Amino acid sequence: MTRFQRWALALTVPAAVLAIGLYVFPIFQVLALSFLEPKPGFGNYVSLFGNAAIGRVVRTTIIVSVLTTAITVVLAYVVAFAIVQMPRGRRRVALFLVMVPFWISVLVRAFSWITILRRNGVLNTVLTEAGAISEPLDLVYNQFGVIVGMVHYMMPFAILLLVANLGDIDRRIIQAARSLGAQPATVFWRVWLPLSLPGVSIATLFTIIFSLGFLVTPAILGAGRVLMIAEYLSVQISSTLRWGVATALSTLMLVAVGLLVAGAMRHPAMRAAFGGGRA
Amino acid sequence: MSTHRFSKDSAEIALEKFRTGKLDRRTFLTAMAGLGLAVAIRPTSASAEANEIVICNWGGAALEAFQKAYGAPFTAATGTPVSVDGAGPATGAIRAMVESKNVIWDVTDGGMVDAVVLGTGGFVEPIDYSIVDKTLVGPDMAAEFGICNYTFANVLAYDAKKTGGKVPTGWVDFFDLEKFPGKRTMCKWIQGQLESVLLADGVKPEDMYPLDVDRAFKKLEPLLPHIIFWEGGAQSQQLFRDGEVVLGNVWHTRANLLHKENPDFAWTWAQQLLFSSAWSVPKGNPAGKKVFDFINSSLQPEGQVTLLRLMGNGPSNPKALALMTPEDKAVYPLAPENAATALKIQAAYYAANEAELQNRFLDFISR
Repeated sequence: MTRFQRWALALTVPAAVLAIGLYVFPIFQVLALSFLEPKPGFGNYVSLFGNAAIGRVVRTTIIVSVLTTAITVVLAYVVAFAIVQMPRGRRRVALFLVMVPFWISVLVRAFSWITILRRNGVLNTVLTEAGAISEPLDLVYNQFGVIVGMVHYMMPFAILLLVANLGDIDRRIIQAARSLGAQPATVFWRVWLPLSLPGVSIATLFTIIFSLGFLVTPAILGAGRVLMIAEYLSVQISSTLRWGVATALSTLMLVAVGLLVAGAMRHPAMRAAFGGGRA
Repeated sequence: MSTHRFSKDSAEIALEKFRTGKLDRRTFLTAMAGLGLAVAIRPTSASAEANEIVICNWGGAALEAFQKAYGAPFTAATGTPVSVDGAGPATGAIRAMVESKNVIWDVTDGGMVDAVVLGTGGFVEPIDYSIVDKTLVGPDMAAEFGICNYTFANVLAYDAKKTGGKVPTGWVDFFDLEKFPGKRTMCKWIQGQLESVLLADGVKPEDMYPLDVDRAFKKLEPLLPHIIFWEGGAQSQQLFRDGEVVLGNVWHTRANLLHKENPDFAWTWAQQLLFSSAWSVPKGNPAGKKVFDFINSSLQPEGQVTLLRLMGNGPSNPKALALMTPEDKAVYPLAPENAATALKIQAAYYAANEAELQNRFLDFISR
């Protein structure tokens, strides 16, 4: 290690101390609570598996997260694909527009969706007046509304991840495919898509991990009808004071996400994504 | 828990009035004080000195309202200052404070259910009835570990424009989709929800507790697709404003705000579900016995009427009625013409069963 490297390492120490103090240590406290509340042992974990209600919460969370991820990645791919084809100036504008939702609080976004989707909302009014529907559609306060809100939240993340990856693809390979007589569709399916798999897989992983922990969006857009893990945990911590069950469930969720990441990392596409796209 | 949420909501209402200029700063601060919500106003956490009473409530607008309704009269009479900390006296927070022997609150604005839970756990002092005059409050409002500081109710609110002028007569109509077509709203926090369902199903008030949960779920299930569940008072109000719902099980303070905004929104007191909020005294409170003098003072009718006018919270002292204008009485859950068919929510039942019930309810409504 050079003198410079040692200094560089030293500079990361305060951040590491903060992260361990404010993140790792509390996580171990959570872990400890899950074994100690209300009495020491594995009781909380055992009760998790016997509890049909928690099973339903977990199932809802998985269904909503998987659907959100699938829709997000497909839509984000379309947008990212269009963005990388744009000339530099227009591309900058498009990326700017993708970033705009980042500046708006998740609460404001959820309430905006209610304004659009509710029975007397913008969308239903337009559809009714256009004669497309006779009865307003139930677009919010259900799973559909929750997924709309979550997809909207996740889109910018997925787009940015995919733009970075698609922008890295060597255009000479595409030109080579065209010069060898491939049709545009063939070029996309046989060249673009395989080359963009690292980007797709990292966007998928990122979106699903994020989706599993959604709290505010399902609570507002689901209005009690879509109960996901994060909201369930928040009720157990702040209202019913069942900290043992809550910490056990969050520990299990952490382990599940850890396994998901570990499993995904074994895939060559994912290793390529972390290796900079060329590994 | 429901009471926590209600107190917090009253504070939001007063804050809104203050912002829109309907309350002057002084009145606002008093209202907040009444609810025990001072931290937002006083940047440093209020800490009790030898000669001070510290109320803890849920912050926001209730900081000033509590100060005006409860604090000012006590200070005027005794010279002892009262400060209001809006940190929120969650049962967990009180427990942590008492266990670490670092109690900074003299009296907390919780709710009868919390008072029972905290009393059972040994985290609060019994109310000293040699000092506190229990005849100041109405029947069933003075318990071992809590005494009622104000009342509130869940009522059946409706949008008269959508009902075509029809007025619902009770919870039976909440379930009558033919007479009152359209969506309804209920609260996703359990207190006062299953009672309304069981009343609609014909259960007599005297047979209400223990709640027949299975019967309530069976009755509620067919109605679920027509219900939007609210989780905060402002949201329940918004659902009416947006025209999303025609009927709702909402707090009377929110129904009152809706009515003031637009006379088409109204509510019936029929079969209202009546709650008591309560003062509790954390074990080892800094001001010692003196806090009971404060509690006595807070039960005087004048201050309680002030709080009613500021936030809509109903007095617990029956004598307050004599000081009320007809306008005040219209929003007072315990006014005789309003309370005839009221059902009292049983705190002891919730203290023992709420956690279990809440989880079952959340699971049931999200199926």
